[in-house]
Amino acid sequence: MRRWLVRRTLQAALTLLIALVLLFLLIHLLPGDPLAREGERALTPEQTEALRARYGLDRPLIGQLATFLGGLARGNLGASIQYGRPVTGLLLERLPATALLGGTVLLLNFVLGVWLGVRQAVRKDSREDRWITTLSLAGYATPSFWLGIVLAGFVAVRWRLLPPAGMRDPFGSGGTVATAVDVLRHLILPATTLSIVTIAGVMRYQRAALLDVLRLPYIVTARAKGLPESRVIWRHAWRNALFPVLTLFGLWLPILVSGSVFVESVFAWPGLGSLAVGAIGNRDYPLLVGAAVLVAMVVVLGTWLSDVAYAMLDPRVRTS
Amino acid sequence: MTRTTLEAWLGAGLAGTAMVAGAPSAWAQRDSDPARIVILTGGEAPAPVPTLNEGALAETSNTDVTDQLFLHLADLGPGLVTAGDGGFEPRLARSWTRRDSVTLVFDLDPRATWQDGAPVTAQDVVFTFTRARNPQLAPNLSNLVRRIASVTAEGTRRVVFRYTRPYAEQLYDAVFHAAPLPAHLLAAIPDTALAQSPFVQAPVGSGPYRWVRRVPGQFIELEANPRFFLGKPAIRRVIYRLARDSDARMNLLLGGEADAMDNLPSPRTNVRRITASPNLRLIPFPSSFIGYLLFNQRDPRDSSRPHPILGDRDVRRAIGLALDRRAMVQATFGAEADVPFGPASLMLWIRRGAPAPARPDVAEARRLLAARGWADHDGDGTLDRNGSPLTLRMLLPISSAFRLQMAQQVQEQLRQIGIRIELEGVEFPLYNKRRDQGQFDVDFAATGQDPSPTGLTQSWSCAGGHNPARFCDPGVDSLIDAATFATGDASQAWLSVLRRIEADAPAVFMYAPTYLAVIDRRFGNVRLRPESLWLSLREWTVTGSH
Repeated sequence: MRRWLVRRTLQAALTLLIALVLLFLLIHLLPGDPLAREGERALTPEQTEALRARYGLDRPLIGQLATFLGGLARGNLGASIQYGRPVTGLLLERLPATALLGGTVLLLNFVLGVWLGVRQAVRKDSREDRWITTLSLAGYATPSFWLGIVLAGFVAVRWRLLPPAGMRDPFGSGGTVATAVDVLRHLILPATTLSIVTIAGVMRYQRAALLDVLRLPYIVTARAKGLPESRVIWRHAWRNALFPVLTLFGLWLPILVSGSVFVESVFAWPGLGSLAVGAIGNRDYPLLVGAAVLVAMVVVLGTWLSDVAYAMLDPRVRTS
Repeated sequence: MTRTTLEAWLGAGLAGTAMVAGAPSAWAQRDSDPARIVILTGGEAPAPVPTLNEGALAETSNTDVTDQLFLHLADLGPGLVTAGDGGFEPRLARSWTRRDSVTLVFDLDPRATWQDGAPVTAQDVVFTFTRARNPQLAPNLSNLVRRIASVTAEGTRRVVFRYTRPYAEQLYDAVFHAAPLPAHLLAAIPDTALAQSPFVQAPVGSGPYRWVRRVPGQFIELEANPRFFLGKPAIRRVIYRLARDSDARMNLLLGGEADAMDNLPSPRTNVRRITASPNLRLIPFPSSFIGYLLFNQRDPRDSSRPHPILGDRDVRRAIGLALDRRAMVQATFGAEADVPFGPASLMLWIRRGAPAPARPDVAEARRLLAARGWADHDGDGTLDRNGSPLTLRMLLPISSAFRLQMAQQVQEQLRQIGIRIELEGVEFPLYNKRRDQGQFDVDFAATGQDPSPTGLTQSWSCAGGHNPARFCDPGVDSLIDAATFATGDASQAWLSVLRRIEADAPAVFMYAPTYLAVIDRRFGNVRLRPESLWLSLREWTVTGSH
């Protein structure tokens, strides 16, 4: 197990390094200029060159890459051109909002999605199974920004049940509980939107995996022994049907930091997604690279965690 | 976990969610004071400090916040006239006098203090202009104040500005571009470190509002400055709330979570949505923007040569005459835009007295083109000359719905006289880059203008710093010089500039929009300032409840 773990960790590190270099190069190859502006206050070519030198953009790309990797090793992602502040600080400011939204969506998807997937498998081909399948696939096919606009339009603007956007009421007052309730109220619409359009994946995976397990002889034996059906399903079948869902969880872990650009925009959620959108529009290379690095790290980490969990649960993986 | 347990947890979760959604007033107590305002903004204000709104940090949102925190020596009067010494309203400066044609003396109001209690002194003004005139620190700003030769203090309350030569906008240059900074708080910070200093995260100004907090990515909160020497504002708290997406901004307004927005976004159906709301009203104001079809004077493939088609003034004029700009403006903006005469937005004072823009004259356009040898020799519907078709690539950013809509109308109207326009809609950063590199035949540009007409030198003079079409007419340059350095009434001189530019036809000036601000009805005495929209916020009153 230890040798397997070391090998898998080195693989992950190499993957991350390659991803970082590629991300850096691709982002810098995007056409556009972080210093370009429209209008009478646009900079002259000489002024632009002076600023380019200040931000190190006049250096060859390889030199910029070396500086970036050196800085990364020290935990320094450089300074944002658009904000004039360290990228690390900006990312850390926005990370909690994205993690809250992403974490809530993960929780909703993997609790509700697993539960619904199990219900569907147990009631295969029933009316309930067909309805849940239809509704979940309809949600899956719905663009998140459209659903967000519709939900905000009805729930927040027309019925005024929840806030239409933002993460906190600027005039909210009170202690920790009041603040938590305020944040939760703002969280409901974006989390619901994101969950509706993504939950189908978990449900379908769980349904298919459980159906496979329910056909196996040991389940027949368990039922023949007279065990209660809920015990057969949750104790005997479900545990073995968790592996594909576990893999999916690892792959979805990056949602904790990447969030959803569209949903964050529509609901003015102050997370990394909306920060990255602004960085793309302004060609703020250090900020854009910083956000991409963070997502790449969590993608690699999620895959690594998923592999390790799989290996711990199933010895065949690490011995193969 | 048994199924029953899981279902119980799910049920509890749903019930909790319903309670959170349904019981806001019980738990999340909200300040319902009507004397506060939430202003929606599409951009963060990363550096709301004078002299820092530069280069990549340049944002309108910076100016919005800065103008509440920092008071200028004087503000433009209601006419927005930038020439002469008379059309300004005193602020930090109680009065100003002229010693000679190149020396202005400002006397500071002795009541003026910084928000930490220290008095505003002449040394603060000197400190600020030392920064502003340093091209290493403020490349753009230093260019704007380049005619200020020196700024010196005489005692603690008197500041003397000396200029390199007589010109009409000396007072404007001294008061408009940079509000004074507190030298006693900033002198110890190295010049280049101000942008990263703690001061930027909690600025101390001299204005009607003082800094409370910034919640990153969400809002900036200001509160009325109780020591403000021109009177404490009636609106006690100001929130600049960030929502980059226009749908989110509309939802916040219509959902009762915000009170004001600078410009109603497209589509025009939003006007109906706002007017249907009992609490909100639309207030039009002249914008500083102008949209135009800019003709490249040089060949995009070889900038040392004139443009093979648009280097000919008659072709440029023919294109202008073939377009029914009024019809296009009406179809795109309704009543919320005008066709400008020359590069003058509705905010620019020099447009007063300007003649009406030329009406479309398709017959004259055809005649001009035919006289220059353009005819449909091969019968394909497109004019050609020496085997080359009259085809032009029009560059525009796809993010601009207005420009995209108008460009399609331009394309259709020019097709009818045999000119083929190929639209090249690109993402905004790419648009900027290609425009700056001169990679276009026609650029559908939209420019925000300063209140001063001298800003025209940037795009319409031979040495202009932002002249991607490389338009150069020495006649225009001399007229601009004459208008800039006029010491009497400069309005006629500036109209001559506009006339000459129109005659040269370096562009077809398409639209000058009126913007629609959205304001909650409970605010009275609302005066919107085109040069800085919320500048008069301190004078607003609160007439109703929230």
